[in-house]
Amino acid sequence: MAEHHATIEVSDGAAIPLRKDRGLFSAWRLSFVAALCLFAYLVIFKQGPYLRLLKLLPGGILVTFEVTVASIVVSAVIGLFTGLGRLSHNRLINLVASTYVEVVRGIPLLVQLFYLYYAMARFVPVPDIAAAVIAMSVCYGAYMGEIFRAGIESIDRGQTEAALSLGFNRTQTMFYVILPQAWRTILPPVGNESIALLKDTSLVSILAVSDLLRRGREFASESFLYFETFTLIAVIYLLITLILSKLVSTMEERLRYYERL
Amino acid sequence: MFKKIYLLAILLVAFSGTAWAKTIVFATDATWPPMEFMGQNNQVCGFAVDYMKAAGKEAGFTPVFKVVAWDGIFAGLATGKYDAICSSVSITEERKKAMDFSVPYFKVRQALVVRKDSTAKSIENLKGKRVGAQISTTGHFAVKKVKGVEPRSYDEIGLAMEDLFNGRIDGVVCDDPVAAQYALSNEKYKNALKISAVIETKDVEYYGIAVNKGNRETLDLVNKGIEAVKSKGLDKEILKKWIHQ
Repeated sequence: MAEHHATIEVSDGAAIPLRKDRGLFSAWRLSFVAALCLFAYLVIFKQGPYLRLLKLLPGGILVTFEVTVASIVVSAVIGLFTGLGRLSHNRLINLVASTYVEVVRGIPLLVQLFYLYYAMARFVPVPDIAAAVIAMSVCYGAYMGEIFRAGIESIDRGQTEAALSLGFNRTQTMFYVILPQAWRTILPPVGNESIALLKDTSLVSILAVSDLLRRGREFASESFLYFETFTLIAVIYLLITLILSKLVSTMEERLRYYERL
Repeated sequence: MFKKIYLLAILLVAFSGTAWAKTIVFATDATWPPMEFMGQNNQVCGFAVDYMKAAGKEAGFTPVFKVVAWDGIFAGLATGKYDAICSSVSITEERKKAMDFSVPYFKVRQALVVRKDSTAKSIENLKGKRVGAQISTTGHFAVKKVKGVEPRSYDEIGLAMEDLFNGRIDGVVCDDPVAAQYALSNEKYKNALKISAVIETKDVEYYGIAVNKGNRETLDLVNKGIEAVKSKGLDKEILKKWIHQ
């Protein structure tokens, strides 16, 4: 049986600039330098509205970061258990995990945010930041679950068989033998999902959470400086995601120590 | 054959009817009852809509309403997506720098809405609490001015009222007719919310129609219509219909 699968690796995260991908690597450098220069030019030479806006933004960036970091942690935990659930031999657990993934993936994140914050408020009035984190984590937990599942499945079956024959039970096999190996496959796409998550946190501004985007919108509609505001906001988001994608690529290259031999 | 000619004649009459009068496209954020909102048959209706229709009849223009989200409504005017904004825009000095305003068509004050059990008598009583408003409305500016109150900006006033109803915030500041609509006549909210104070700002606010700087043609037509509605007393009827005054 000829095993040749062409894989198309496109996700909604960011283009990860790996060293082997020359074109993308220089594209990353180009956009990073350009974004940095544009940012410096606007803030140092143009000043005026840009500087005024920039003073309002640190709090917003902090909120964006808080929501991102908390959501990444929680969604990774949810993802791990969902991935394990999807592979479980227990019919019920498998069904629950699979249904969760199906339902969550079929509802737009924006609708989930509205639902959790406004529709559910009648039963549990969750505070805004908590609602944002829960909605983002539940949504991304489903995506992460699929990554975990794929990563665990990529480990050769012989590993499981060997571990079981050595007297490990299934849980021990998973946590001592399979997962430590699967990490290397799982981490890069998880990093990529985190970048996508960071970008999607801009959606939480609809919950009146004063994140980066909402601060910009408040400034814009008061000063009528739409062009200036959204240029600066876009450049800041771009800078953050470019830095993160670089971190993910570094991590990915470090994790490939076996391949480097 | 006759049927076709008949139809053609009807169409001609219909089209020429609208061609005589100039069409003015007004942008409106139809989430601001009773001034402008979506009625039961999904048509924009409300005080401002009737007012502009009456003004159009007097001055000879056909008002067309385009529903636009509040956030970005001014940007859309600047880029020429519509001729004017008729969306309860208070005339302020800041805004006058960016666009031209018609003569005022409604006088407005800012009202503070709280839950029935609240003891707050003014916005200053809500120090350390969260007070909501629609983003970049004069209500939002009023909240931001009060030190110690945490301002929260919503995309729509309805979402702010819902959050107040659910107890996530302790007050909402908005134009008084809108506050009255939610706290006095809305079936869902009238038993839970009340108007606790009318915020006295130094100058009285007026609603005006906003147009791009230098768009005399539209502005003159609108002004002519508003003046005519006022002088003929047509505004009293519209006021009675929507605001019960």
